[in-house]
Amino acid sequence: MSGVQVSIGPFLVRVRSDLPGVHEYLSRLYSDFPVTAGEGGHFDIAVVATRGFRRWMRPQANLIVNGERPFLPLPGNLAGAGFEWSLNWCVGNQAHRWVAVHAAVLERNGRTLILSAESGAGKSTLCAALTLKGWRLFSDEFALIDPESGQLAPLPRPISLKNASIEIIRSRSRDVVFGTEGVDIEKARFVHMKPPFDSVQRARDTAAPGWVVLPRWVAGRPTALESVPKAHALLRLTDQSFNYNYLGVKGYECVADLVRRSACYTLEYGDLDDVLTRLQLLASN
Amino acid sequence: MPRLDAAPDYSLLARVLRDPATLDRMSSETFARAMDAAHSARLLGWLVEQVRVGHVPADAADWLRDRLMTADALARGYERAVLWEIDRLSRAFLDTDQTWILLKGAAYIAGGLPPGRGRRVADIDVLVPRADLERVEKILQENGWEFPEINAYDNRYYREWMHELPPMVHRDRGSVVDIHHAILPRTSRLKPSTERLLERATPGAEGLRTLCPAHMVLHAAAHLFHDGEIAGAIRDLVDLDQLLRSFGQDESFWGALLGEAVALDLTRPAYYALRYAHRWFDTPLPGDVAVAASAWAPPAAVRRLMDALVQRTIPEGFRDTSQAAVFALYVRSHWLRMPPLQVIRHLTRKSLRTRA
Repeated sequence: MSGVQVSIGPFLVRVRSDLPGVHEYLSRLYSDFPVTAGEGGHFDIAVVATRGFRRWMRPQANLIVNGERPFLPLPGNLAGAGFEWSLNWCVGNQAHRWVAVHAAVLERNGRTLILSAESGAGKSTLCAALTLKGWRLFSDEFALIDPESGQLAPLPRPISLKNASIEIIRSRSRDVVFGTEGVDIEKARFVHMKPPFDSVQRARDTAAPGWVVLPRWVAGRPTALESVPKAHALLRLTDQSFNYNYLGVKGYECVADLVRRSACYTLEYGDLDDVLTRLQLLASN
Repeated sequence: MPRLDAAPDYSLLARVLRDPATLDRMSSETFARAMDAAHSARLLGWLVEQVRVGHVPADAADWLRDRLMTADALARGYERAVLWEIDRLSRAFLDTDQTWILLKGAAYIAGGLPPGRGRRVADIDVLVPRADLERVEKILQENGWEFPEINAYDNRYYREWMHELPPMVHRDRGSVVDIHHAILPRTSRLKPSTERLLERATPGAEGLRTLCPAHMVLHAAAHLFHDGEIAGAIRDLVDLDQLLRSFGQDESFWGALLGEAVALDLTRPAYYALRYAHRWFDTPLPGDVAVAASAWAPPAAVRRLMDALVQRTIPEGFRDTSQAAVFALYVRSHWLRMPPLQVIRHLTRKSLRTRA
């Protein structure tokens, strides 16, 4: 079974599966992506059903990534999401041509907004809401910085929404396609939102650094966007980097250069509409 | 629906290891499969080195070029991480007059030897005199390494039967140090002298010491053919080939190897090491060395059995412990480490625990 190759940002990803869930997932959420028949690619992701009676009684999905099995088997109904999580693992562990930082990235007027936050601080919600306001989606998980050029590479993919943010984003987007809602292994409700067509079309157009924002959602808090020392932003981004240690001096200089070229802020907010307006304003100045 | 087989292609890796020039003629897809298998067998550093000397498809796809950059970064990162750990250990021992030497992977990296290039090392192995164990434990504990909680059986297994302390883990970095007082278990039938190993250790850069070349090869041989599990051992055989090629350029090495094999009571592992390195990788051996070593061969029936086991295990059996050959070698490695009754007790206990 040779599978297909999907072009996702700078990556060619080979996908194989003998579970129907992966095919359904891809045809629903990746229908705008270039797909070719063939072998090879940056990443080779196989989502394989466990053999034997398990296959019928309680199907399991095994994730095999470039010959390794980084995860325990998942319940069969998470096969599609398992593809997405495998791809995250690949980008974090096997893409050292770029410095990879855990962050959401969007683009406006040729410059990128990097949102770096702890899990649960509302990064993906903010990211999804900004795409609905016309920002170009780079990624809701990864800032990919090219150490040679200092440019950011887009990696538009389905946006992963969890718990309350699912309803917040659904209520703002009548025309957007979502995947099947599921419950992940940490018992959180999740759903994947299809990335905007235009962002996928422009997946090879890199952009320059613009703003680094460290957001935090706090219930009832008025929006506060405040400058932060660059050293602070640098520490945050290196701390959130997946592969900075593998790249040595080159990795450090790359992130330092990015921070030098960006305006850096902390952002506290309680009202989504208000913060969207503030960020639009920031980008138009 | 056809079966999806995404397991690493170890037979491809075995072919590449024997003839790296085949890499030049591969398609990008096949090259990537060889790279995945090398990564799983902890031989990515070896592959990166082959790429560095030009063994790479001329028309490599863009995605493969990106993957090669990833592999290169990983290999450098692995080495850098080990050098940092060695640096921390040196610092811990700095103001003591403690004798300590690096073994295995960490020693290859510290000594700048070919098997150290881009090597992924899980644990740093250190050899100290048995009489100093308590003192060494204390020095490391004062510098942030600690013993994770282990059960009483495991603790006793290490302290009474083994040649090393339970692994010590650094509380901040999570890195692991194995402190050895011998290169084979206390219960093993062969008992190479730790005093001799320490006496003849080679001083290296910045006060770091490693085993002398002959001892380093004999330790690798003992580890592969006497102590360790042969399953998962293709890297160990690659190490032996690279060490023999590197040290063998100095003519005095071969005499030392033969003499030390006798002095350390490691003639049988030495015989196997030379035999299988030569068989698998055409490791150049001076004729008189091969003749001298053949005196250490086991009886013909044992040798044939061993040939068959190694033949079946090395190319494909890295992880698949369901194979009979791999299991036989696993039992054998314990047989050599412990008296028979003890082996049976130990393996029974381990198998019960695995199933529980």
